[in-house]
Amino acid sequence: MRQFFRGKIGKIVLATGLVFAAIALCVWLGSRQRLLPQHYVQLTLDGMRGGSIYALMALGFVVVYRVTGVINFAQGEFVMLGAMLCLTIHKLPLPLPPALKLIVAIIAAIVLATLIGAAVERLTIHPARRSPPVTLTIITVGVTITLRAGALLAWGADPYVLPAFSTLALEDHIFRFGSVILQAQTLWIWGTLIVVLVLLYFFLEHTIMGKALRACAVNQRGAQLVGINPGRMSMLSFALAAALGAIGGIVLGPVTRPIYDMGLMLGLKGFVAAIMGGLVSVPGAVVGGLLLGVTENLAAGVTNPTYKSVFAFVILIAILLFRPQGILGGTGQATEEVK
Amino acid sequence: MKALWARRNLVNVIAFTVVLAALGAVDIFRPFGLSFSALTGRVVTLDTMIRIGILTIVVVGLNLLMGYAGQVSLGQAGFYALGAYFSGILSTLATRHTILPGITGLWWWPWLMIVVSMILTGGFAYLVGKPILRLKGNYLAMATLGLGVIIHILAGQFPDITGGYDGLTGVPRLSIGSFTLWPMQRYYFLVWGAAIAVIVISLSLVDSRIGRALRAVHTSEVAAEASGVDAEQYKVQALVLSAIFASLAGSLYAHFQGAVSPSPFSFRASVELVVMAAVGGLASTWGAPFGVGLIYVVRDLLKSQLERLLNVRSGEYELIVYGIILVSIMIFMPEGLTASSVQFMQGRRRRHGNIEPQRVQSNGTVEDLGQ
Amino acid sequence: MSIRSKILAIVTLLAIVGLDVTACNSGTSQETGQGVTYKIGFNSSATGASASLGLPEAKTAEMIQKQINDQGGITGPDGVKHDVKIVIYDDESVADNAVSNVTRLIQEDEAVAVVSTTGSGTTIAHIPVCEENETPCISMASAQPITVNADTGETYRWMFKTPQTNGHAGEWQAAYLKATGVSSVCILYTDDGYGKDCLANFKATAEAAGLEIVYEGAYATSDTEFSAQIAQVQASGCQAVEVGSTPPVASLATVAVHTALPEIPITLGHGVCNQAFIDTAGAAANGTVFPCGKITVLDQVADSDPQKTVLQKYIDDYTAFTNGEPISTFGGHAWDAVEMTLNALESLNDGMSLEEQRTAVRDYLENQIQGWPGIGGVFTMSPADHNGLTKESLLFVTVEDGRWVAFPESEW
Repeated sequence: MRQFFRGKIGKIVLATGLVFAAIALCVWLGSRQRLLPQHYVQLTLDGMRGGSIYALMALGFVVVYRVTGVINFAQGEFVMLGAMLCLTIHKLPLPLPPALKLIVAIIAAIVLATLIGAAVERLTIHPARRSPPVTLTIITVGVTITLRAGALLAWGADPYVLPAFSTLALEDHIFRFGSVILQAQTLWIWGTLIVVLVLLYFFLEHTIMGKALRACAVNQRGAQLVGINPGRMSMLSFALAAALGAIGGIVLGPVTRPIYDMGLMLGLKGFVAAIMGGLVSVPGAVVGGLLLGVTENLAAGVTNPTYKSVFAFVILIAILLFRPQGILGGTGQATEEVK
Repeated sequence: MKALWARRNLVNVIAFTVVLAALGAVDIFRPFGLSFSALTGRVVTLDTMIRIGILTIVVVGLNLLMGYAGQVSLGQAGFYALGAYFSGILSTLATRHTILPGITGLWWWPWLMIVVSMILTGGFAYLVGKPILRLKGNYLAMATLGLGVIIHILAGQFPDITGGYDGLTGVPRLSIGSFTLWPMQRYYFLVWGAAIAVIVISLSLVDSRIGRALRAVHTSEVAAEASGVDAEQYKVQALVLSAIFASLAGSLYAHFQGAVSPSPFSFRASVELVVMAAVGGLASTWGAPFGVGLIYVVRDLLKSQLERLLNVRSGEYELIVYGIILVSIMIFMPEGLTASSVQFMQGRRRRHGNIEPQRVQSNGTVEDLGQ
Repeated sequence: MSIRSKILAIVTLLAIVGLDVTACNSGTSQETGQGVTYKIGFNSSATGASASLGLPEAKTAEMIQKQINDQGGITGPDGVKHDVKIVIYDDESVADNAVSNVTRLIQEDEAVAVVSTTGSGTTIAHIPVCEENETPCISMASAQPITVNADTGETYRWMFKTPQTNGHAGEWQAAYLKATGVSSVCILYTDDGYGKDCLANFKATAEAAGLEIVYEGAYATSDTEFSAQIAQVQASGCQAVEVGSTPPVASLATVAVHTALPEIPITLGHGVCNQAFIDTAGAAANGTVFPCGKITVLDQVADSDPQKTVLQKYIDDYTAFTNGEPISTFGGHAWDAVEMTLNALESLNDGMSLEEQRTAVRDYLENQIQGWPGIGGVFTMSPADHNGLTKESLLFVTVEDGRWVAFPESEW
């Protein structure tokens, strides 16, 4: 029996069984909340919206982790910076038509956030590059504190608004299918995730810089031997992570109201998503993000919504204990001693 | 050699105890109208000093776990919270619901509950430690982070038991017979007495067989197991001990504050604990009180000085400077302040002799690049 | 960089930061026929989770300090002039810091009275400090357990608070819903002190008015997604939604409810009465109803109202002091607390010991604050009531086109 569940077919049977058990539990709990089918659809759609943002964040974690071995706690702050910079530039009295103004603001915000990401690496990670990853991880915690406090200083404690991309106003188009609603911005978020993935694929597979980055992630010493500068790649990975975070923050902006401390929880959730994907894989990060968003939203919907974050972290611990290589598989390095 | 070590430790402990006792006595007898805070130029108040003592207990445990056993915990505030909540709940709710009438009001009941909290928290750490400690490095850090966040969120729920977000109030002061360990001047001695006891336990542990085993596990788990050390066993023991220390600190905190609410046990608190441990030096028991103290002093100095020098409301700037200091310490002296100072002293004799090997040993985990 | 220079760098840094620590103690006491300098402790959450509430409070305290300095201090009944120093601390919205700050204010700074703090939970944590040290503390948070011991039901001796309570707000909300023919209500609330107090008070008044509460759902202050709560609200089929939160999360919850259920009436508590709520909720705020302190709807307040002149002066002063930052009720709570304390200090003769001053201020607050027009309402304190406000301190308003409009009972 034990042998059977270790085999490939056994694992599939086990996984399918678990999924069905989870769905059954979900429906049973949902019936106690008097949830109807449309409510499940709504919960899933909203979960996929949040999940897309988690996915973007998870990509940032994966890029930095693979190249430097650092868990970049500041990832959440890049999201905040993206949203805040964008709305600040958008508020400037530029003599441009509204749509163009928003586009300019978005591009400028991404560029600025990318530069900040690179600067963070140069100023904090680079000088300590010989320290072990855990020390570097703690350094990023210090960076997080500094960035968040700087944001509080620059933007104050009040939330801001970023116009919805479709209407260029605070109120968004809302598509109603019966009682199920879909905001236009949600489509923008999904679209952005797809575009980002395509661009990332192109960058990593078809540009010299992307290839160097991948080489560095696979084997740093080897990469160094063929003339790749790991210090520059480390900076590039932080810049890329900052750009990914900023993009996430900008598309999320119109849905929530950007505020200086929005990065904390988003960062942690993005990290959970990255872990679900195995922390080293790009497709894993995307699947992890979407799955986390949907799972936590459904779980919260059928039980007590206050426990939403608890579910996310229970998932984190469960994944780490039972499937440290991530849901899609890969190398199981979490319990191996790697030197 | 061992006798020499023990004697050096003994001298240190006695000197430390005498200084702290003298400081505490100043505030009780007030010679020439001097108070504790006047001695420190009003930077460190007695309230701060007690908080430093409480967190020292947590950080000593964290040092054992992180510095000696090499297991990173980003959820230590969770164990600290468990201690505070167990103590708070057991010493107030029983009275409120008149469970065991007559007994819960007696002076030894809260003391007993402190011990019970330590057992409960230790047991919990044992249960979660077994599976979680299979993880390594950053992964272990994140699992403990998740654990800490879950405990923090759950502490804010269940208003009937934990008091919800507002927390529990009316946690009684501790007393021995009819002698109440309050006002603060008296509580100071209890807290620092406990802190010194914990430091002594930690020092003797580090110098024992267990300490050597833990260091072996830290350096290389495979090598340790090959030479007959049951790595898993020792790691779990280190976690349980650090959890028990954290629980004791939590209980002392609850009886100090008189109230327990979730906000001091957030993820940020766990991070700050690690920072304190790191500033003091991860593999240094003596680093704990200095790491905690330094962070508190720097923060309070920033609070009072920034406003005076720059004429700004300090909150935001304080956090920025705090973040920058944290980053600088980790970049320039990742072994922590105490370790770096010791090396500085040794370096004077040895002319920058041989520090690199120590750096490899005293730091967190192994590099997991290039898999 | 050698180890030595690294250490030198750090030591220098610390030395600069800690520059002449002792110098800040050097005398401020002028011996020119003046009485002692009174110190008022002031602790608010100027940063952290409650910063949007705490910052206007801290700024109000700074403004009052400047006004006192310009006047050259205050004068007691014996004609002796006293300087007043407001010692301002920030607790970063953390309960531990609140306890430390209040302890420091009372024991180190020797404040006669302490104004602290913004959050209900953070205030509740420092109650033992005020009671044990026998120092009057005035809170700017609204929950019931701040002035009344939850276990014994007795009013604390040394605790006061200035905001209107959620009980008063609940009376308005329940009366309104009843009048518009609603019979079943959903409550969404923040799982913090304010939200839970809203829940408890709204539940009590609503059930007394015969409304059925069919759903209670909580969320955290940092939440930005409410899809799970909204699904449960929809499933419960209630006819109105009560949102018990302060901004920013109150705006987000309101938008979420409005997006999913555009027709449903939404009532809120008086915690949302700042411009940030309307700015961030946008069109979703239109049509929402809630009781508010009069400060947010000054143009709707009758000229005969006893608060009118006080309100007008505060708004003018605050706008001038902050260069036009928006007015919030929370700054008003700070104004009431500090001004009350100043009135009490003006009643003291010179030459009292600190303990006598503290007791005298406490007694003044409890017995002499009678019909006292402030920002939050007309205060009448008593030994049993350390808040001193009634339902009339709040004005029922609605939002029309992004503006507050008074919404009296006759128009329901």
